[in-house]
Amino acid sequence: MRIIVPIKQILDPGGITVNRRAERIFINREEYIINPNDKNALEEALRLKDEQGAEVVAVTMGPERADDALREALAMGADNAFLLTDAAFEKADISVATTVLGKAIQKIGDYDLILTGCRAADTGAGQLGPRLAEYLGLPQITEVHQVLVVGDGRVRARRSWNQGYAEVEASLPALLTIALDANQPRYPPGARIMNAYREWEVTVWGASDLGIEAAELQPLTEEKRISFPPEREFGVKITGAPEEAVRELVQYLKVRRVI
Amino acid sequence: MDFTFPKEYQLLRRMVREFAQNEVAPLAREIDEKKEIPRQLIDKAARLGLLGVPFPQKYGGMGAGETGYCIVMEELNKVCGSLAVIIGAHIGIGATAIYLDGSEELKKKYLTPLARGELIGAFALTEPGAGSDAASIRTRAERDGDDYVLNGSKIFITNGKLSDVVSLLAVTDPSLGARGGVTAFVIEKTFPGFSTGTEEDKMGIRGSDTTELILENCRVPKENVIGEVGMGFITFMKTLDLGRLSLGAACLGAAQLALEASVKWARIRHLFGKPIAHKQSIQFMIADMATEIEALRSLVYRTAWLVDTGQPFSREAAMCKLYGSEVLHRCVDRAVQIHGGMGYMRDYFIELMYRDARITEIFEGTSEIQRIVIASDIFRQEGVRISP
Amino acid sequence: MDFALDEELRMFQKMFRDFAQNEIAPLAETLDREERPPLETLKLAAEQGFLGAPFPERYGGAEIGTIGYCMMLEEIGKVCMSTAMIIEVHTSIAAMGIYLDGTEEQKQTYLKPLALGEKIGSFALTEPGAGSDAASVQTTAIRDGDEYVLNGNKIWIINGSIAGTFVVFARTDPEKGARGITAFIVEKDTPGFTVGRNEKMMGLRGVPVATLFFDDCRVPAANILGGEEKLNQGFVTAMKALDYGRLSVGAICLGVAQGALEAGVQFACEREQFGGPIALKQAIQNFIADAATEIEALRYLVYHTAWMVDQGQKYTREAAMAKLFGAEVAGRVVNNMLQTHGGYGYTKDYPIERIYRDVRASRIFEGTSEVQRFVIAADILGERGLKIRP
Repeated sequence: MRIIVPIKQILDPGGITVNRRAERIFINREEYIINPNDKNALEEALRLKDEQGAEVVAVTMGPERADDALREALAMGADNAFLLTDAAFEKADISVATTVLGKAIQKIGDYDLILTGCRAADTGAGQLGPRLAEYLGLPQITEVHQVLVVGDGRVRARRSWNQGYAEVEASLPALLTIALDANQPRYPPGARIMNAYREWEVTVWGASDLGIEAAELQPLTEEKRISFPPEREFGVKITGAPEEAVRELVQYLKVRRVI
Repeated sequence: MDFTFPKEYQLLRRMVREFAQNEVAPLAREIDEKKEIPRQLIDKAARLGLLGVPFPQKYGGMGAGETGYCIVMEELNKVCGSLAVIIGAHIGIGATAIYLDGSEELKKKYLTPLARGELIGAFALTEPGAGSDAASIRTRAERDGDDYVLNGSKIFITNGKLSDVVSLLAVTDPSLGARGGVTAFVIEKTFPGFSTGTEEDKMGIRGSDTTELILENCRVPKENVIGEVGMGFITFMKTLDLGRLSLGAACLGAAQLALEASVKWARIRHLFGKPIAHKQSIQFMIADMATEIEALRSLVYRTAWLVDTGQPFSREAAMCKLYGSEVLHRCVDRAVQIHGGMGYMRDYFIELMYRDARITEIFEGTSEIQRIVIASDIFRQEGVRISP
Repeated sequence: MDFALDEELRMFQKMFRDFAQNEIAPLAETLDREERPPLETLKLAAEQGFLGAPFPERYGGAEIGTIGYCMMLEEIGKVCMSTAMIIEVHTSIAAMGIYLDGTEEQKQTYLKPLALGEKIGSFALTEPGAGSDAASVQTTAIRDGDEYVLNGNKIWIINGSIAGTFVVFARTDPEKGARGITAFIVEKDTPGFTVGRNEKMMGLRGVPVATLFFDDCRVPAANILGGEEKLNQGFVTAMKALDYGRLSVGAICLGVAQGALEAGVQFACEREQFGGPIALKQAIQNFIADAATEIEALRYLVYHTAWMVDQGQKYTREAAMAKLFGAEVAGRVVNNMLQTHGGYGYTKDYPIERIYRDVRASRIFEGTSEVQRFVIAADILGERGLKIRP
């Protein structure tokens, strides 16, 4: 079984502070990470590999530094990794990304499942999965919490539904988007980290390797403006054992003549 | 000169940091109160390769060298002194003695399971009459057929209870003393005549056991000699040299956390209407911490580079241990002071860091011994031999 | 200038030293391990008059003067800092507050039982938002008829769980900062007043430290410390009492340092490495010499300040110095004496391990070293007409 996992490298939100008054985002620490939701997808793929054997292939579109995301995926347990990078991809919007990833997946070929995260923590649009499924002509199951069974040309998965879950089946190949925190992504073992950088290869493809024309790389959307939600007020956090915390809260309100 | 860490080390650091934050930090207080680290935590760490960091992959290790080992010790000691000490004694001195001078058979038999964390190691040198004066050990090993029979006791042994195998130093020829009369052995806990004695009740690192080892006619096969008979003191001194470096790295991690916690607190704690970050006393304490930590960081990783590139490192390793432990002490002390009363209460982690930190200036060679090592090395270059 | 101890003081010193050695020292380790106060010792100390040492006899005190009292604290601090701190807070700040500013009636009603040791005293100033910034007390006291209704919390209050009488500082005027604070005498078991759980601390584990809760706690107006004319003047009382307290803590630190030095010297003479006692090593000798020198300087700073108190002189600056220098010297001496003990000093087999944890509080409690520095600098610069703010 071959499972392809498209992942996205994003700026670590932990290194960013937002200043609403200045309407600016400050990057205090520029570090890049694998989009956490994509890690959930990768973990689900690795779990299937552990249980029934599979070849897990990680693929990402991004600048050269996205190589690090792929090395991390290899360290976690992926078998192969592809970096799709080209100056022509720089202005890509979601439709261009779909094309690029779609073509790469077709070139890799022979896959049973595509697993990816529901949404990226930076843009949060959640469109890639469904768009990719349409581009590739695949059945899609979204917000999957667990892949239950894969075999005999079919996949059965548990997904969010109303206040609970539903089990959905699809024929293979299929694309599944995995819910955030559906699982606990594993830590990459140290020896694999060393080998990911020192021994193993990442395959690099550009626009010409994928046979993409310039016309297909024109974005369909344009970002006009970013604005901020209103500011929250500074408050006081009361912690501790319930009895004492309640006492403290009551004091606080009394002293301020609220009650 | 490239001062950036190669990418694999950056990823390693991130992995250990997340493991430490998510899996270890929440347990730190309980580990201190219960005086015990859950075995599953050690096993989790082992599965990630954290119990064999510097050893080559062919011996079951991570293959990350001394630099990788320093990174791991730095990140682990940030969140739990006890766990760092357990791993430090296991890798840094217990398994390292076998790695440095053990035969290939000995390495296959013991180093590989140690590196994988299937066995836990310890390092037994100290005795009641032989602390800083390590050369005056008395534990005796007498040849009897294909075995050695050992008699004596060791105290203050980290992992004394937890360990499965112990690298231990004993006297094989009393007339020769440290030069040619002392041999290193690998002892399996199950060998007849081996038992553990008193476990110390300590100020800090309470999750790591510090225990007496007792040898009463303990039979050890001759194959378990590490290196050559009579050359054990040299093996142990080389091992301690290397161990010092990683202790310096551990101190770096905890000092760094003391700084980060202090900065965070200084931003939110208000006094006289403003955050205390606006007080010059606080600013200067923070500046001093940051400066010392920066200096320590460069010292530690340059020394790790010396080791990984096969250069002499003895003096620098002693400096790492000396400076690291003293910087750590000053940093946690300042952190307690910046946190005020909160830094003295057991429900906040700064208090635990303060207690855990104090041992670093004492074990694996007191600060006084480190100073002797450094001064000896400097004067030796001038042709002057000094003795303690 | 006569630096010799007169006969009376020498007698006191022996009495205190014997009491400390025989009654207090044997319990020190137990108090730390069980995290409880030495109630049995406090009772014995009360019988000897030790809980009202500096107060006049007409208030139940032993009238031994501040020098004598500091000697007592020094001898007790030498063997058990927890016991010393309990007695210090009781005497130097709680009872002393009532002695300095209470009405005659309040002194008879409240000070006397404290001095006789029938009750233990506590001093409730600190709050979550008012630590070093003591003037920003938020606990409110609102007049209702001839009572004041108190609402708020106090944290880190020493003796909370064993005290019968509390001096509580609350805000009676929301607009006036330090000049809107009043001191109230509140007895335990007053409805609306509860004492929380004891804190678990690094050291001083024999000292009960707790949060106090005031929930519509009604206190008679007559309990304003000093009477109704002292309304909104509580902060002045607090500062006066804290001055005395600082000196006292300095005396305790002197004892702690002295005890640690003696323990270190003994260990150094007995422990053999490299063919002889470690006292033969220069590094150890240096530790000992530096410790002894600083202790000597501290000793005379403490006793000179105590003498100033007994002479009726202003001593705010010197008391802050005694506390600052005392805490820092004790910290250094204890640290170096622990280092002298080597690995043994990190185990609970030797008292130095406990002393190291205990002494760390001295640079924080009752005014951090930073506050003391401010007090000293303010006093010095104030003389030149420069008013500084914290």
